[in-house]
Amino acid sequence: MTAAQLSTAHDAPAAGNDAGGDTGVLLEHLFRHQVGRVVAHLARVLGPARLDLAEESMQEAMLRALQAWPYQGIPENPGAWLFRVAHNAAIDSLRRGRFLQENSGVVLAELTRGSSMAAADPTFEEQLRDDELRMIFMCCHPEIPRDARVALSLKTVGGFSVREIAGAFLADDAAIAQRLVRAKRQLREQRVTLDLPSAADLDERLDSALETIYFIFNEGYAAHEGEDLIRRDLCFEALRLGRLLAASSLATPRVHALVAVMALQAARLPARIDEAGDLILLEDQNRGQWDQRLIALGFHHFDVSIAGDQVSEYHVQAAIAAVYTRAADLRSIDWAAILDLYDQLLEISGASPVVALNRAVAVAKVHGAEEALAEIETLRGSPQLRDYYLLLAVRGHLLQELGRREEAAVCWRAALECRCSEPERRFLRRKLAGVDELESA
Amino acid sequence: MPQYMLALYDDPSGWKKLSPEEMQKAVEKYMAWGKRPYVVQGKRLAADSGRVLKGVNGKGRATDGPYSETKEVLGGIYLIEAKDYDEAVQRTLDHPHLEHGTIELRQLYS
Repeated sequence: MTAAQLSTAHDAPAAGNDAGGDTGVLLEHLFRHQVGRVVAHLARVLGPARLDLAEESMQEAMLRALQAWPYQGIPENPGAWLFRVAHNAAIDSLRRGRFLQENSGVVLAELTRGSSMAAADPTFEEQLRDDELRMIFMCCHPEIPRDARVALSLKTVGGFSVREIAGAFLADDAAIAQRLVRAKRQLREQRVTLDLPSAADLDERLDSALETIYFIFNEGYAAHEGEDLIRRDLCFEALRLGRLLAASSLATPRVHALVAVMALQAARLPARIDEAGDLILLEDQNRGQWDQRLIALGFHHFDVSIAGDQVSEYHVQAAIAAVYTRAADLRSIDWAAILDLYDQLLEISGASPVVALNRAVAVAKVHGAEEALAEIETLRGSPQLRDYYLLLAVRGHLLQELGRREEAAVCWRAALECRCSEPERRFLRRKLAGVDELESA
Repeated sequence: MPQYMLALYDDPSGWKKLSPEEMQKAVEKYMAWGKRPYVVQGKRLAADSGRVLKGVNGKGRATDGPYSETKEVLGGIYLIEAKDYDEAVQRTLDHPHLEHGTIELRQLYS
């Protein structure tokens, strides 16, 4: 993660003072992030029913940038340029009457005001942040199914294209496009507004937003198949959304806990894959490659998150990530503490088999492979873990530790039959090759 | 040093398929190319099709722009310096515009 990415949650100017002009360099992800801010602002002014017009107007602004900037140079303040041109495009559409409604006069007046708003005006900057927050809550509304929430958030707030979302989720473009159409229909049918949650429904709506954000993060973080770069972007987009929530007055300790988990885990991304694109297990990672800025960010939010007496799943996940991060090296990881935390997590998650599988790894470190293997045996019947390569990979690892090499090899071969990414496949093949070598020796 | 004009044609509807991230990357590529030392200047043309003026029976007459059969339109021009066509072609061949569009290269007489 670069400084630019780190800064985007709080400091990116809305209509921005981002570098442009003579330097000819754009802030990283400027277009993508500007989509979120401009569409959120336009949708608030135009009304959520005209979300499509808001999106089209921003698309038009970016197309014009593409036609003008290569010849004329990047304007002094590219973010503000996009903001203004998108406003003007919306005004033109309204004037042409395509979207004419009885309140058009009021809307036009506000659009005109917005288009001339000085980028440096701090109250306007605050307004934009507020608009984006409203948009996040709308896209993550509990009345909308999770898949739709995820796609809508990535498209509307995150500025990802249908193809990029499809690439990250291994879906085809048409399926994602359809999911978006359905999500927007649901927004209309459920009459979801851009209102911020009230005290009464804050918890429910915040949970829905946090779940959506954490899902996006995990999709990016899990080393499934898919386009690597996009997956990494998913992680940082989730982190950005989490930080937007954390910076708002609606933030609860859970929000900070989620940001802490994501930051501490994302800090390890650079160390997770070696130069050949092979997976490196946490234990073997070069800690020097962990991102210190993200670690500091994670610990900051972790400290804020323990302010309340609430302990959520995110708190425990953050605490686990913190134990790994604090350890100076592999040998000093406090496995007993990690096992304790997994016990808590298991309880909070209502005995989730995926959590139990992760817990088994900690059991092996504290009580030995035999006991961990016994735990794994109880999980094998779980429908959630059927055909889950990680269950087989972990089981194989434990069997190997116990010297039961042939059984381990059977597990890894079975794991190779499951859905897993190329780096994971290579990892399993390396394990298998190790067994073969021992046998032929 | 002789100057050459690059006329950049493309089908603007092709841009619509790009994601915001891809659009930004495209802009950055054009900008990077435009900073090369032999690029004298760039000019963008208005997105409309302009006017065509023709002599009809000895009198000038203007009509709306040239509607060609193709969807490609002239979007802008660059002037570059090069010692001959070979060099001008070499300097233009890796222009990012060629990922989707057409460039017409013409020498200017000074």
